Amino acid sequence: MRRVPLPLLLAPLAFLPALLSRAGLFGDDVWFNAGLAVCYAAAGLSLNMLMGYAGQISLGQFTLLGVGAFMSGWLTGADRLALPFMAAVPAAAAAGAAVALVIGVPALRLRGLYLAVVTIAFTYAAQLSVFKIDAISRGSAGVELPRPQIDDFIMTRNADYLVVLLLLLAMLWLFDRAVTGSKIGRAFQAVRADEAVAASFGVDVGRYKLLAFVLSGAFAGVAGAMYGHLIQFANSESFPFDRSLLLVVIVVIGGLGSRVGVLISAAFYALWPVYIVKAFGDGFRGTDLIVGAALLMFTVARHPGGLAEAWGEGAERRRARHVEVEDANGEGDTEPPMPKLPELPRPSGLPERPAATSGDWVLRATGVSVSFGGLQALRDASIEVRANRIVGLIGPNGAGKTTLFNAVSGLLRPDSGRVELLGEDITALPAHARARKGLGRTFQLIGLARDLSVTENLLLAQHVVAGYSVGSALTRVGSANSVERELRSRAAEAIAALGFEQYAHAPVKRLSHGQQRIVELGCALVTAPEVVLLDEPSAGMSPGAAENLAVRLRDIRDELRRTVLLIEHNIPLVLDVCDELYVLAGGELLARGEPLEVVRRPEVIEAYLGRGLEHEAATA
Amino acid sequence: MNTPALLSVEGVTAGFGATTVLHGLSFTVQQGEIAGIFGLNGAGKSVSMKVLAGVVPLRSGRIMFGGRDITSVPAEDRVAAGMGHVPQGRQVFPALTVEENLRLGAYTLRRRDRRLLSPGSAGGSRYATALDGVFDRFPLLAERRSQLAGTLSGGQQASLAVARALINEPALILVDEPSAGLSPVAVAELFRTLKAVAGSGVTMVLVEQNVTFGLELADRAHILQTGRIVYSGDVAALDQDALAGYLGIGRMLGDMTAAALTSRRPALDTREVPERRAARRAARAQRRRAATS
Amino acid sequence: MNDIGQVLVLGLVSGGIYGLFALGIVLVYRGTGALNFAQGEIGTFGLYAAWYVDTRLGLPWIAGAVAAIGVAILLGLAFEAAIVRSMVEASRVTVAVATVGLLLFLLAVETRYFGGASPRPIEHPIKASGVELFGIVVSPTQILALVLAAAVGVGFTVLLRRTDFGLGVLAAAQDPVAVRLVGVRLRRVSAFVWGAGAAVSALGALFIAPTVGFVTPGYATVLFLSGLAAAVVGGLNSLPGAFAGGIVIGLVEATTGRVFVDSSLPDVRFLAVFLVILAVLLLRPQGLLRAIGTGAGAKA
Repeated sequence: MRRVPLPLLLAPLAFLPALLSRAGLFGDDVWFNAGLAVCYAAAGLSLNMLMGYAGQISLGQFTLLGVGAFMSGWLTGADRLALPFMAAVPAAAAAGAAVALVIGVPALRLRGLYLAVVTIAFTYAAQLSVFKIDAISRGSAGVELPRPQIDDFIMTRNADYLVVLLLLLAMLWLFDRAVTGSKIGRAFQAVRADEAVAASFGVDVGRYKLLAFVLSGAFAGVAGAMYGHLIQFANSESFPFDRSLLLVVIVVIGGLGSRVGVLISAAFYALWPVYIVKAFGDGFRGTDLIVGAALLMFTVARHPGGLAEAWGEGAERRRARHVEVEDANGEGDTEPPMPKLPELPRPSGLPERPAATSGDWVLRATGVSVSFGGLQALRDASIEVRANRIVGLIGPNGAGKTTLFNAVSGLLRPDSGRVELLGEDITALPAHARARKGLGRTFQLIGLARDLSVTENLLLAQHVVAGYSVGSALTRVGSANSVERELRSRAAEAIAALGFEQYAHAPVKRLSHGQQRIVELGCALVTAPEVVLLDEPSAGMSPGAAENLAVRLRDIRDELRRTVLLIEHNIPLVLDVCDELYVLAGGELLARGEPLEVVRRPEVIEAYLGRGLEHEAATA
Repeated sequence: MNTPALLSVEGVTAGFGATTVLHGLSFTVQQGEIAGIFGLNGAGKSVSMKVLAGVVPLRSGRIMFGGRDITSVPAEDRVAAGMGHVPQGRQVFPALTVEENLRLGAYTLRRRDRRLLSPGSAGGSRYATALDGVFDRFPLLAERRSQLAGTLSGGQQASLAVARALINEPALILVDEPSAGLSPVAVAELFRTLKAVAGSGVTMVLVEQNVTFGLELADRAHILQTGRIVYSGDVAALDQDALAGYLGIGRMLGDMTAAALTSRRPALDTREVPERRAARRAARAQRRRAATS
Repeated sequence: MNDIGQVLVLGLVSGGIYGLFALGIVLVYRGTGALNFAQGEIGTFGLYAAWYVDTRLGLPWIAGAVAAIGVAILLGLAFEAAIVRSMVEASRVTVAVATVGLLLFLLAVETRYFGGASPRPIEHPIKASGVELFGIVVSPTQILALVLAAAVGVGFTVLLRRTDFGLGVLAAAQDPVAVRLVGVRLRRVSAFVWGAGAAVSALGALFIAPTVGFVTPGYATVLFLSGLAAAVVGGLNSLPGAFAGGIVIGLVEATTGRVFVDSSLPDVRFLAVFLVILAVLLLRPQGLLRAIGTGAGAKA
């Protein structure tokens, strides 16, 4: 991020309210409402981090603001510790983060709906029970949260406090930006899109979910302190559950995942009650929530991505007029050649790997057995893949091919058997760790984060080599910036090699099927893995396109000197490119050997055509 | 053919999202026929079934059923119009008993029944008769009428799925990959069941991955390759090479293979269907005699 | 002994109401797989209609009750038609967010048009004196509520298992595609389920309100939460479990209320309910009281 971020540039403008107020512009109540809008924006950002980026639902976010506010009150209260405001803010952040972590741990085990139940129960328990505890809130009497002061100057003027609020919002905005521009944000969005795809890209899903809760809680804590000191008071009734619901409205309507959308939405909801009533009279009091809730329902039904998505779709349509997205079905006989796959050097972030000499095996699965419920999906399957070869895995439907892939790549734990990569036993390693060890993989149903752009997917695919810490990501101190630069340049190289410059920022879901396959292949190769597992790479391709794919597959073996294991139903393609063939049927290995020879064996043909019943009756 | 087809699929294009799977699918099914739809994985077999059932919408083309255009008729109403389904994977309702599954299968029958029922009409509705009929045909299900469907074995669930489709007295049954996921013994049992059903005059459209199994049941074959029908004709007219060619695995077979195959198992017959059946019956009888002597 | 008796009485009485709400939640969940967070508030809304009819129009209680149930049903059907139907492809979480929108909408409308936070009085349906048990006076309304909860539970169970349509509802939750393939119209199932769930909610609200004496916005949603806990405890898939779960939650609340009566933790029962929900979802998500024969697992 070489450009100076916008919030930093605009920071001096934060002091404007103080000047304008002293010049007599606008009453103090106007500045108060502006402050309210800023607090709501901060709260919206916190929920956006959790729901918009990481896709975890929380119906109790405003309660976390309460946690922050009460913590701040405890520290700054004149009759308590009387600490300065700026000391209380980090403490409020920490308190919010801690409580969010407590909610987050069960979130690892609970999916969407159950998580929603837990968060709504949490918010009720807090509002009706915990917040009423005397030690925390002094019941309805409440605690006082004094305005910040510097020596003798107390910021009683709302406009003065607004300066502080704007600076804090800018800080939160910068942190949020740091998140989205780093592996953290990408990991969040991958988790939100598809956890299996995220894991195959090397994201530790559990860890990142918890991180989302912690960051969201910290933001909420700060927002709570901001809010509490604005109204200078907090009691047991200050954080009702309907505010949490309002936050959901703000984030969903503004657009899940869009900072600007959330900002606009929050400002609207903070200011509408005041100004509509002023403009149109008392009859409109309370209509903001009515309209907001109705909008929420319709937005969720028609445009799950909120205003930001609707606006984004419009921009997409405008851009699309200049870009031709090809038809995937290849009705014509001539197919454009498939782009050359990127040749990238090994990324710096990975540990040294033992070099594989041609002839040695690089990947080996021994005696793998998997059963689901009562069904034996794989029985004692063993394959050995030698370096610099293309090995094919074929078999009829339900033979267990994808199951074997899942066992090898770590998405499922086999009942028995061993998986070894480059001489190392990786059977006990989770999927994301195997990715680090040099295993790449694609999926039958295109494993990409569909809402992210081509560039972002390529960056996500390099997650395992993004070797900088969370702290470095947030503060941009340390290796984060330099590593990000390297990742981006590799991604750009890959895009250039594929000839996809015009699609670089297009969301992947807008590309045709064939193009998505190409991007997926690029992602599998961008970390320069030693072994690539390709699950039905030619699925959905016309015969012409499949031939082009064959050329590229041979490139991977010959020019990039890698090893490929592929599942395929396209027999001609397999016969074209594979050096060795394994046939799986009914969960067992049926045949192994040189492709043309294997494919002619009667038992293999029978496996594809099916068993005749006379044959059954005869052997029964 | 003078009589109009029971089912007529005309130029159907369909798919999911950005992908088109079927490109101008066209075929007809006559009353009393058993039509088999074959093809390798990805050729479009299951999408064809879903389009016929009404679960996946058409992009273009039309479907005529019993002389009526059902292209825009929703799935539920196609059932009322006389279509029965044995879905892929059986899909019996696991938490309901066998009898409850059957009662649901007869949903539209019972609805029609109630409308016809007037005070004073004899009890013993059409449903009761249909249920008895089904239990006669599937004594195994009669024994287990109060058992939860989810606890039945794969083969028993297959029988239940067929019974559930039959009890509604449909004119046409769509059977989607019946042999998938079943043990060889269960497949043999299912084969006998479907053969009997076909013998009772019900028209059947069958989609099968296991080509051999399918060919033993079907009278006419429609072979799909990448979403298009490449062969529509009598099963009797197919031979091994033609079949492999139409499926698209032609390169899998060479001249040497045909010979190898012939030595392992009999080549596909080119005789007429009834002759084939007679020959098979004779062969089976001979084996039984050989086994018991 | 007196203490235990009181706890039992209090638990049973409130448990009946929670059971009613839980029944509505489980019905919607079993029928459509969705969780309706506005379940309670629909009841409150109906209650406002009852108040209007009773107090403003001066009609007898029964008219108010009919209005309450009628309005609730209309609300449920309208929501289903306008929102749920366009969300056939949506995940359960997205549908849940839509119901959150409904909740907020109802709260806002009540606040705006029915006098905001000022409580509206609700009268008893039966003005006889109550029965005294273990030193607690149990009003006839409360007894009626318990009886009604049991009756509704039995009624729904019978409806679901004995009628064709009911079987269709059960099957729809197990396999929405296969159920279409036997000819059941999913739309009717959906409409029925949302309408019936709303009606049950109104019933629950009607019978607890007189005990409290008034209605305010958000009032029944608090009860809904205990109803949700009851449904979770009973296993979101089981109707008898919902009713039993209601009793369990009622007893949990009564017990914690008695045990912690002097502590500095106010209204500790809400904390207890939250912990119960958390514990059940983490340790035994299929519910503590899974009824026999409800194989279909609850996945979110």
